[in-house]
Amino acid sequence: MKSRYIFSGLAVAGLAYGFFLAASHPPDQLQLEFVRISHVHVASAWVAFLAFGVTMIAGLAWLATKRFVMDHIAAASAELGVFFTGLALLTGMIWGDAVWGRAWDWGDARMASTALMFFVYIGYLALRRSILDPEIRARRASILGAVAALQVPLVYFSVTLWRTLHPTPSIRPDDVTMPTGQLVAMLTNLAAFTLVYVVFTTWRTRQISTEAILEARDASELAPAGRTIEPPTLGPAT
Amino acid sequence: MSFWGQVRELVKKDLRTEGRSGEVFLVTIPFGVLALFLIPLALPNDQDLLRSIGGGMFWVVLLLFGMTLTFRHSESGAQRMLIAMLGVDPVARFAARVISSTALLLAFSAILVPTVVVLYQPVAPPGWPQLSLVVLLVCLGLAAIGGLAGEVTAGLQNRTVLAPLLVAPLSVPLLVPAAQAANSLSSEGSILVPALITLFTVLGVIVIGVLTARSLEEASR
Repeated sequence: MKSRYIFSGLAVAGLAYGFFLAASHPPDQLQLEFVRISHVHVASAWVAFLAFGVTMIAGLAWLATKRFVMDHIAAASAELGVFFTGLALLTGMIWGDAVWGRAWDWGDARMASTALMFFVYIGYLALRRSILDPEIRARRASILGAVAALQVPLVYFSVTLWRTLHPTPSIRPDDVTMPTGQLVAMLTNLAAFTLVYVVFTTWRTRQISTEAILEARDASELAPAGRTIEPPTLGPAT
Repeated sequence: MSFWGQVRELVKKDLRTEGRSGEVFLVTIPFGVLALFLIPLALPNDQDLLRSIGGGMFWVVLLLFGMTLTFRHSESGAQRMLIAMLGVDPVARFAARVISSTALLLAFSAILVPTVVVLYQPVAPPGWPQLSLVVLLVCLGLAAIGGLAGEVTAGLQNRTVLAPLLVAPLSVPLLVPAAQAANSLSSEGSILVPALITLFTVLGVIVIGVLTARSLEEASR
């Protein structure tokens, strides 16, 4: 319980410090003040990739172990992945409108593939909502989660596979093409967003597990149909 | 009965059931052709515009209407249960579903091509044999993705809405290289790279379908 509050506090503090750094570094020569949007955009996209990777791994772990907590982690992670993908798309469109002069460009492979990934995981969540039986839901969702995760590397490498408008990665193992102030703000935000993801996934997983326990208890307490129907009792003969 | 014997019998059963119900030939295919009629009505009367979008329309209609064909209702829940209880290999059932859907999708394409040519008059790309190969790969890939989505959504009340939501974004790795291949042929370029991307996508989906067939059958009981 105590560690939960410590992690939540760290996430809030990290987020606040990340935003402070993002707001305080000098503007970029090309992107001007709009460069600050990229700190939220990149961190959201990173967390979305992480979340969908966790969904796949937790789903496969469910298939291997049949421990329902794995399925609950997969579900929680997918929900957060969809939220952060939406945030990455939105901030990308705001940035694109300011820097490219248009919010959406079909020449940008990363944008189109991210939007598709968003819809695939909307479908994943819709599938989970459609199935009541926990075991069938977990089995089908884990398989879909594994298939859907194949898109993640495609989205990530789309900027190098196709000629596209989207900027290529500024942080590579061999080179960093970013001023130090921006780099520190970017890395701080990446860490803070990751922490936020971990905290929310833990909360949501616990919530889903509690819901599952309550549903199972309700189901076991429900009387089978017919039990309440009793034969009429005849009154005493007069 | 051998694996391929099971596949052969199931394909025959699938196509015979389809022949009797007419779901694909009387509903899905006419609806797809109707869509090709409706699109020009919503656009300005500009033959150059129609000529330029004709090829793209073919792929979009094949994808959108073809996917509804791949999870057609002709295999009822009772049939699925019976086949499972007979001890039919789930992989054979998946393979049969993919083969029968591919055959129906090829028939659909054979009707769509002349319709697009007549209505949109697109510039015919040279190298029809290569393009036919790409169409075959797209049909095979779409059949495999549709087969997977059909299994994942089997027995669900909202299946007719949910399955397209799953198939449409997952089939984009087929649509984009297929359209690129057609464009490359028009500009007399090579279709090797888009054809290879399509081929790897198809193989990837088939491998996933084979690996998950047993789990999905257990989940749909």
